[in-house]
Amino acid sequence: MQATASAAPIPTRRVLSPNALMLRRFTKEKTAVFGLLVILLFALLAVFAPLLAPFDPLAQDIPNGLAPPSAEHWMGTDKLGRDIFSRMLYGARISLGAGLGVVIMAGLVGTLVGIVAGYVGGWLDEALMRVTDIFFAFPSLILAMAIAGALGPSLQNALIAVAVVTWPVYARLIRGQVLVLRDREFVLAARSVGASHGLILRRHLFPNTLSPLLVQASFEMGTVILAVAGLSFIGFGAQPPTPEWGVMISEGRNYITTHWWLTFFPAMAMLFAVAGFNLVGDGLRDVLDPRLRR
Amino acid sequence: MSVLNTRRALRWVGVLMILSLLLSACAPAAAPASAPAAGEEAAAAPSDELTRANTLVFAADMTDLITLDPAVVYEFGGTQTAGNIYETLVSFNPGEPELVPLLAESWEIVEDGDMWKMTFQLNPNATFASGNPVTAEDFVFSWERVIDINKSPAFLVTEVCGISKGNVTAVDATTLEVKIPIALSPQVCLSVLTFVTTAVVEKAAVEPNLGADFGESWLNDNSAGSGPYTLSSWNRSVDVVLDANPNYWGGAAPAMKRVIMQNMPEVANRQAAVETGDADIVQELGPEQAAALEGNPDVSLVKALNTILAYVSVNATMPPFDNPDARQALRYAINYDNIITLLGGNGELVQEIIPMGFAGHTGTNPFTQDLEQAKALFANAGVTEGAVIPFTVATATAPGGVDWATIAASIQADLAQIGINLEIQLLQQSELLTKYRAQELPMLLMNWSPDFPDPDGNGTPFANYEAQSLAWRNSWNDATAIDLSRRAAAELDPATRTALYGELVEYVQNNGPYAMLYQPTRVYAVRNDIQGFIYDPTDSPTISFWLISRQ
Amino acid sequence: MTTFIIRRLGGLVFVIFGVSLLTFFLAQLVPADPVAAALGSNARNEQVEAYRQQLGLDQPVVTQYAIYMGRMLQGDLGASIRTRRAVADDLRDYLPATIELTLAALFVTILIGIPLGILAALNRNTWIDGGARILALIGGAMPIFYVGLVLLGVFYRQLQWLPGPGRLDSTVQPPTNITGLYTVDALLTGNWLVFGNAVSHLILPAITLGLFSTAVLLRMTRSSMLEMLGQDYVRTAKAKGLAQRLVVGRHVFKNALPPILTIIGILFGSLLSGAVLTETIFNWPGIGRYATTSVTTLDYPAVMGVALVAAVIYPLVNTLVDIGYSVIDPRVRTH
Repeated sequence: MQATASAAPIPTRRVLSPNALMLRRFTKEKTAVFGLLVILLFALLAVFAPLLAPFDPLAQDIPNGLAPPSAEHWMGTDKLGRDIFSRMLYGARISLGAGLGVVIMAGLVGTLVGIVAGYVGGWLDEALMRVTDIFFAFPSLILAMAIAGALGPSLQNALIAVAVVTWPVYARLIRGQVLVLRDREFVLAARSVGASHGLILRRHLFPNTLSPLLVQASFEMGTVILAVAGLSFIGFGAQPPTPEWGVMISEGRNYITTHWWLTFFPAMAMLFAVAGFNLVGDGLRDVLDPRLRR
Repeated sequence: MSVLNTRRALRWVGVLMILSLLLSACAPAAAPASAPAAGEEAAAAPSDELTRANTLVFAADMTDLITLDPAVVYEFGGTQTAGNIYETLVSFNPGEPELVPLLAESWEIVEDGDMWKMTFQLNPNATFASGNPVTAEDFVFSWERVIDINKSPAFLVTEVCGISKGNVTAVDATTLEVKIPIALSPQVCLSVLTFVTTAVVEKAAVEPNLGADFGESWLNDNSAGSGPYTLSSWNRSVDVVLDANPNYWGGAAPAMKRVIMQNMPEVANRQAAVETGDADIVQELGPEQAAALEGNPDVSLVKALNTILAYVSVNATMPPFDNPDARQALRYAINYDNIITLLGGNGELVQEIIPMGFAGHTGTNPFTQDLEQAKALFANAGVTEGAVIPFTVATATAPGGVDWATIAASIQADLAQIGINLEIQLLQQSELLTKYRAQELPMLLMNWSPDFPDPDGNGTPFANYEAQSLAWRNSWNDATAIDLSRRAAAELDPATRTALYGELVEYVQNNGPYAMLYQPTRVYAVRNDIQGFIYDPTDSPTISFWLISRQ
Repeated sequence: MTTFIIRRLGGLVFVIFGVSLLTFFLAQLVPADPVAAALGSNARNEQVEAYRQQLGLDQPVVTQYAIYMGRMLQGDLGASIRTRRAVADDLRDYLPATIELTLAALFVTILIGIPLGILAALNRNTWIDGGARILALIGGAMPIFYVGLVLLGVFYRQLQWLPGPGRLDSTVQPPTNITGLYTVDALLTGNWLVFGNAVSHLILPAITLGLFSTAVLLRMTRSSMLEMLGQDYVRTAKAKGLAQRLVVGRHVFKNALPPILTIIGILFGSLLSGAVLTETIFNWPGIGRYATTSVTTLDYPAVMGVALVAAVIYPLVNTLVDIGYSVIDPRVRTH
């Protein structure tokens, strides 16, 4: 892994372009625009869920449980007679919120560690990177599960667990970026005129790490949504009756062949949301960081 | 293709091979060939060829299986397995309440000073699978082992039966004498003696393998019993394989030469397994799986009442439920019909602490949802609208095949109608139990399964604070209940005893810290070519594999 | 080469130490009493206390860790609270199942991911490319636990084409234990019936587990190939009239290979993660399901055991990939 990284050619031109140019390039990527539209749709559904949902996502109607999709219940009802469409809408809030929360938490911590490690270097860099090694050694879901289990199963603890598992990704990424930038002319120039470390970090290093950070973050959104749902599915994440997509699939697992609608709709919601973020991530990478074009 | 190309291709293949070889090389390092005990067993196995026809495949959730030692087993999977390998002194015939002889031909109970003296005559024909006779000495050894090993079920022997080392003696090869304190009930003790904890293991086989753990680990992979089956192998978390005991003393060797008890935790998989014929019998289906199998020409459903009771309990020293009115209000607030609907036929309404099938069960269900009454009673207790009560629930499936959380959500909705907000806290069962034992939970949802088939198996835990069981966990220290439960347990006359339990049931029903909810039905799906399947929740084992055959 | 390996091994030791410290720390966070969990709902307080003492849980934390590390150096991973067996014995039973499943999933990944990636790159912007990209998109975004449930529902329950959960039919006895991988052991002992049964049981879980990594590898192969196809030397070779196939075989694939190999090493880690969910759904007796049950029952000695094993396997695989790499491309060794 390290071997490839150092063998790859080091880019010599600035990656940031004026916003307008970037937007134009982004809108040329049809799939990325599609992904963005999907995300926007989910974001709107999530924000306006209370207005859009025809039912209270927790309201029960036990005699009308396991009803198939109909004009009244577009996506049918679950065992307790709760409206699946309404639950799916509220689920969008939870999944997108969870994704955002984890990406921000992990992104902040990871970026901080990465910048410090890359800029300070020496034994501190070495120590921090060995710590990330430890985290990378775990299969992420096993570690997340162990953390969530130790803290006690809840959505909040699942988010903490996933954040703890994912921060090293950002730390490594940003460190690499800073290492490259640290010795570039404009940083050396700033240093030679006596700029403080704080200023160099704020002015020159941090802004230049933003575009890879953004690309990484949009991919991580998808990963995090899947991870949180996976944890919820095995019981270490959101707890019933929370209308979280993973919980909904878990609650419907026993009905998969008899009452398909319990699991199908939340699974499709997840597929589209995650695919949306991945497409946007692809598009952003192509626009912001053509070197990484794949 | 040129030589060059071939060489490149080979190099590429080489890389893959190195990878895969090295990967699989991790495996042998971690998995040295362990000599399975099955090898010895196979030599002694019946000469009849094993076929699919004389093999029974039984699938159930056996995640809880941690031991096969009869002195330690306490969970379904373990008691079911050990119960088909090991035998006890006395037994129940499926579906009948009277004790019948098993290894003991006859028994006699007399008062002897401040002790009861119980004398058992062993059946002289009884032999272990090894061919050696079952002797009183084997029983002394087995019971002392239970006391030494002191695991979860040991209290049945030491406390419920009051047996201690030295009180069990082998008078001669076939006469066993047991003395128990006069304060205890010999009747209760006899019902304990049907439970597999008190089964006999062959001293000659176990003694050389005692080791530091009193032979438990040896008995996990070997068997030394007198029952119709012997242990062939236990593949942890996969299956337990039993082979018919060719020397079975109690009658003809079982029709099913081999029984494979498969661990299948997912209920949807169990449904599929019986549909496809991969399994002959599957245990515990939810209402929807049962409905899906209804009308399947190859499969029959067998529904049998369990002896488990599901209940809501509250802590009697924490507000608001320190007030008896609040407890009564709770019982009136619950919509029992909804819960029974959720169970979809997998449970019956039972609002008392003694389950159907036990003496003392009264069959009265005095509570139906009455929100006005509930509201008034809560008001008496000073509970006003907007009150918040934490409600702790386990993250598991409740007996009957519905998630605990689902039942909790239904109760939560009931109380919301009178303005009381139950805050559901889902905990893993283990965590819940820890807090329950520490008397920390104001309100929770749980179930109780009696340790032995006698009303005392429920009476004492639910009513007697001093027994440190359920009443204690709910901080309910009530002199009337304690006295009633004591007297009922010790009573020898069956009619008086039943009447005393009736009194206890009614008292706890209206004063206790419980809202009893339902008694679950256990649903089995059985392939139609299987005959002789009986599930008896009061028997040990609950399913007798030796009675099963295939058409 | 030797120093390279020594450095990697040194790193491994450090990682193992860190992993043990981290999991031990996690175990201290557990709010509930794992002992109560192990003894079940009917156990009484004295029994719980006695078992705690037996496990040494009444000792101070630092002492507990010191004892744990001391034993670990002798290959003793402690006893599982739930199964009451040595954790090492449990792992020995469950690890081969996970390795077999993971390798099968890796096989599916390589078998589908690489050819489809090449095909997509060679037919850029055609329907083949489009189809491959959609497959990659779906595979990368689909929750695998749903995929597993659906595959079981369709191919086992409805169509009955493939067997259900588990490693073998219940009536088929496992082959003689040599490696613990049923397919390998069956081949070694020439037991074709068991081999066929084991393979048929592997298909659905391997596809489920391999779907995500197939998507990643497909994308990687496609982009790596496209990059190489755009290079000058390829155009030159084409202009010289070499058949396209040969160009691909000779130049492009070889040069596209290093990043593909790297990604395979990384994917192995994600496969181990995915095994947790796949094993739960397919009733697969591997360490993923063992880990899940252990976390549920707060059996942290067992969780620590799984973590240590995983933490050894993953860097080990990546080290192997690096070594494999240097076989293809000797230049790497100098770095």
